[in-house]
Amino acid sequence: MLEIKNLTKVYGAGKNKLVAVDTISLMVERGSFFGLLGPNGAGKSTTIHCITGIAEPTSGQILIDGLDVVKDYKLARSKVGLSSQEFNTNIFNTPEQLMDYMGGYYGLKKDERKRRIDALIKRFDLEKHRSVIFQKLSGGLKRRAMLGRALVHQPDLLILDEPTAGVDVAQRKDLWEYLKELNAQGTTIILTSHYLEEIEYLCNEIAIINHGRIVAEGTKAEFIQGGKSVEERYLEIISNENIPLTQ
Amino acid sequence: MNWIGLYTLLRREVERTFSVVIQTLVAPAVSAALYLFIFGTVIGSRIGDFAEVPFITFVFPGVLLLSVINASFACASSGLYFMRFSRSIEELLIAPLSYFEMLIGFVGSAVIRALIVGGLIVVVGMFFGAITLVAPIAFILYVIAIAAIFALLGIIVALWAENFEQLQVLNTFIITPLTYLGGIFYSITFLPPLAVIITQLNPFFYFADGIRSSMIGYSEANTAIGLFVIFGLLVGLGVLVGSLFKRGWKIRA
Repeated sequence: MLEIKNLTKVYGAGKNKLVAVDTISLMVERGSFFGLLGPNGAGKSTTIHCITGIAEPTSGQILIDGLDVVKDYKLARSKVGLSSQEFNTNIFNTPEQLMDYMGGYYGLKKDERKRRIDALIKRFDLEKHRSVIFQKLSGGLKRRAMLGRALVHQPDLLILDEPTAGVDVAQRKDLWEYLKELNAQGTTIILTSHYLEEIEYLCNEIAIINHGRIVAEGTKAEFIQGGKSVEERYLEIISNENIPLTQ
Repeated sequence: MNWIGLYTLLRREVERTFSVVIQTLVAPAVSAALYLFIFGTVIGSRIGDFAEVPFITFVFPGVLLLSVINASFACASSGLYFMRFSRSIEELLIAPLSYFEMLIGFVGSAVIRALIVGGLIVVVGMFFGAITLVAPIAFILYVIAIAAIFALLGIIVALWAENFEQLQVLNTFIITPLTYLGGIFYSITFLPPLAVIITQLNPFFYFADGIRSSMIGYSEANTAIGLFVIFGLLVGLGVLVGSLFKRGWKIRA
């Protein structure tokens, strides 16, 4: 589904040069639920930005279903849905408008858009808020509206960058079940989160990125072997990047 | 071509225009009415006819040009700058829209707003009895071409600006002076010889003259030079903005 080959992303030049992502390679199989972990500033969001077209890779290649995200960008992007960490939207639009415009950008016809929007608004319990401007929504409602926007065109690859930040426990659990459902239906999901229990519950593959490099990668089973939790393993790896994943 | 995507981009901008009608439609109509009252009715009544039409009819194309320029420039510059500021530009960057479709979307929506405002100004002009139209097709083509030029300029400013103050720089220091000095409210025959030469170097003079000649059939500029200036700016700015979008200048990290 997704193949990243030697991706490097450098911001600035000279004294201001920052290597945000340094020759990383990753493979995400179709149907997998992939957790991308790392501390703040490790390179998770930059990697996601390069996959989705928000940033342009400095070097390397990213393929989505064999389509190069730079050369075949239109086809590649049509397969991806993104729920960003930041609320990167027009705060004066309503959840319904967000989904409507996004569905339109992805080429969905009016009837199809309406059907998808109605279903997503119902699923995310946004009925009472569908015509309220984004700025006036609570943090949890904003997250759900962003998710609806990412899902309106039924992407094959769903990328969720901190999708449950600011969401209360009950809603988070509900969202987990929904994401499991989506994944079971065949949607490949890449998830970044600082809630490691979320990663442990949802993901079957995990990679850890730190200082712009992949420092560990494997299945969840490999991560939690020896009775350790993902969180314990994560802290161990981050505190000493030289420890190999499987010993 | 992603037609639905392009249509959505246009629709969103038109909906934005109608969500702030006082700012986008009512204000230009009020300004135009004031210009027509002062320059046309009050001052024009003392001047009488000029170029075989009442002075208000001579002035009207300039008033229309001013409104079209402002509407188009404001739509493109504020729309795109707000998207950069709020990062909602990322909605377009991740979508399957080509750079060309983005360019058409931003320019097209600004031209649509300019046409809506222009239509409204024509209605205001009718109330003042200031409208004649000798070449309707040329008139519409001039309005569209000029609106597109200022949409492209608006996009460049929106990409360049780092704050709301910079967004006003081009408008305040270049567009507004060149517009007022481009003969929109007067004939160049009113000017001393040196000022005539300077005015003929001002591209805005050809914009005003193009619209005026298509409305009242009176021209003070060389039409071929005027068309060359308008077409040249359209192509030159179009290529520049297309290349900026392709490079992702200030919008793609």
